[in-house]
Amino acid sequence: MNIILGVIGSDCHSVGNKILEAFFSENGFHVINLGVMVSQDEFIDAAIEAAAKAILVSSLYGHGEIDCEGLRQKCTERGLEDIILYAGGNLVVGKSPQEAVERKFKALGFDRVFGTNVDLH
Amino acid sequence: MPEPAVVSIDIGSTYTKGGLFSVERGGLRLLRQAGMPTTPDDLSRGFDAVRGVLAAEADYACARVYFSSSARGGLKIAALGLTPDLTLSIARMAACSAGGKIVKAYSYGLTEEEIAELEALAPDIILFTGGTDGGSEKTNLRNARLLASSGLASVILYAGNRKIQSDILALLANKEAVAADNIMPDVGVVNIEQARDVIRRIFLDKIVDGKGLSRIVREAGTAPKPTPLAVYDLVQAIPAACPGWDDFAVIDVGGATTDFYSHTESFHGGDAVLLKGVREPILKRTVEGDLGLRVSVEALWASERAFLGERLRADGLDAGAFAAYVRSVASRTESMPATPQEEAFDCLLAGACVRAAARRHAGTMARVFSPQGAFYVQKGKDLTRVGRLIGSGGYLSRQVDGRVLAQACAGPADADERLLLPENPLLYADADHLFPLLGNLVTAFPEAAPRAAIAQLLRLDSTR
Repeated sequence: MNIILGVIGSDCHSVGNKILEAFFSENGFHVINLGVMVSQDEFIDAAIEAAAKAILVSSLYGHGEIDCEGLRQKCTERGLEDIILYAGGNLVVGKSPQEAVERKFKALGFDRVFGTNVDLH
Repeated sequence: MPEPAVVSIDIGSTYTKGGLFSVERGGLRLLRQAGMPTTPDDLSRGFDAVRGVLAAEADYACARVYFSSSARGGLKIAALGLTPDLTLSIARMAACSAGGKIVKAYSYGLTEEEIAELEALAPDIILFTGGTDGGSEKTNLRNARLLASSGLASVILYAGNRKIQSDILALLANKEAVAADNIMPDVGVVNIEQARDVIRRIFLDKIVDGKGLSRIVREAGTAPKPTPLAVYDLVQAIPAACPGWDDFAVIDVGGATTDFYSHTESFHGGDAVLLKGVREPILKRTVEGDLGLRVSVEALWASERAFLGERLRADGLDAGAFAAYVRSVASRTESMPATPQEEAFDCLLAGACVRAAARRHAGTMARVFSPQGAFYVQKGKDLTRVGRLIGSGGYLSRQVDGRVLAQACAGPADADERLLLPENPLLYADADHLFPLLGNLVTAFPEAAPRAAIAQLLRLDSTR
């Protein structure tokens, strides 16, 4: 199963990204890792070409909300109506309770939302 | 007893030209050149005439002949990809580097209007790509059905998702369809070699259809090389045969197109530099069908109107006379400038071709600010390390100073975004305009031909 992985926006944290790639590859996924500083369109282009089942968006510098806004709608417009979207990382500036963050990102169209401490399994 | 010699002839769409080269101690030396307008009704007439002049002394009549032909003005290719920035952009790369002229490019699903457009354009080849191997299928299958039920007579080369290759070929059973490896087997991976080879083979079959060529093939005992392939092969052979020539570029400005070849590593990396989009190949060729000095001169004026207008004002030239000149030479493809004013106009036009072709070939570097500090994002190919630039084609080969060629180089840079153009390269002219002719000889003389090409270059002073 093809999945797209990347760090969105003007964000170049890459260590977590490599860990995620390794973990998902070991668990049988074919990971297409777009690396860091990835734009919404780059995620979607790759998902289209690879007929990916999911896009996993990481964001660690706190501006995730602005960068992720509109992603779900863009996916739909570009033909990926049923694609799974996950978001994870340090998604907002400051300390917000995880439930609030989760609500915010689910409203943006994400299927699952992860905070900074996650059991990958 | 004369030394062994070979003849190289290029049958161009406007001009048939040739050279006689002696082969002495592993090197090639030009003995004689000849040329005349191409005879399109029977290509062998012009060919025989040029060959006759070259082998004027009967001793050379048996010299082996290598020749090229440009197939009625070039191979028309329509490119079809899935997303514009991924498979379509790689498909364009494959088509250009194979010497084709891209007449139209489409992405996503074809519409009825686009099929009608294709039928009217009647390209020689439709390069049909899209999807990674094991990736997207639906759009390709739908496109194949549309192509199958169309009235298209083009050769369809399928170089997309390998998983559905046999399904696609089955859908296209009523068409002339062939397949090659996926030009993008995984996201961002460029794999154009096989597609290039297939296009080259198709090109060859199409050329030999030309009038009178089959007789030439029988006599010469070899098939022609497609002309665009000749210079490409020569450029490819230069680094191995000529020490110090690893990072260089060649610009060929012609009557109909400007071709830009760069041989240099496309991305140099570094701590704070990221590459976005596909990584371009070390040897890259772009063909600009709207940048030419005669056949395409009106298209050139339309594409580069702002730049040309500015230069006309800056140089104090008569814009009205310029417009008249452009209209006049568009149909007089053989014409040479007759007055100093016309020479100035040609100089301006050539400079516009060089400048625009370089800017389209080169990538960009943008500075981006992130919480971690400044980063640089590169797209496309980095030409800043191109240390040597060669001008070829009729106009540039006659230049004795670097004025026109220097237009391909970097100007004052914007801190936040700049074009990755060559910076102060050494400038050269292909003084005897031998690149196409030596390109024909590269397969038989893989070291002597590139060496001869470099040896006859005229070093130019750059005056900016």
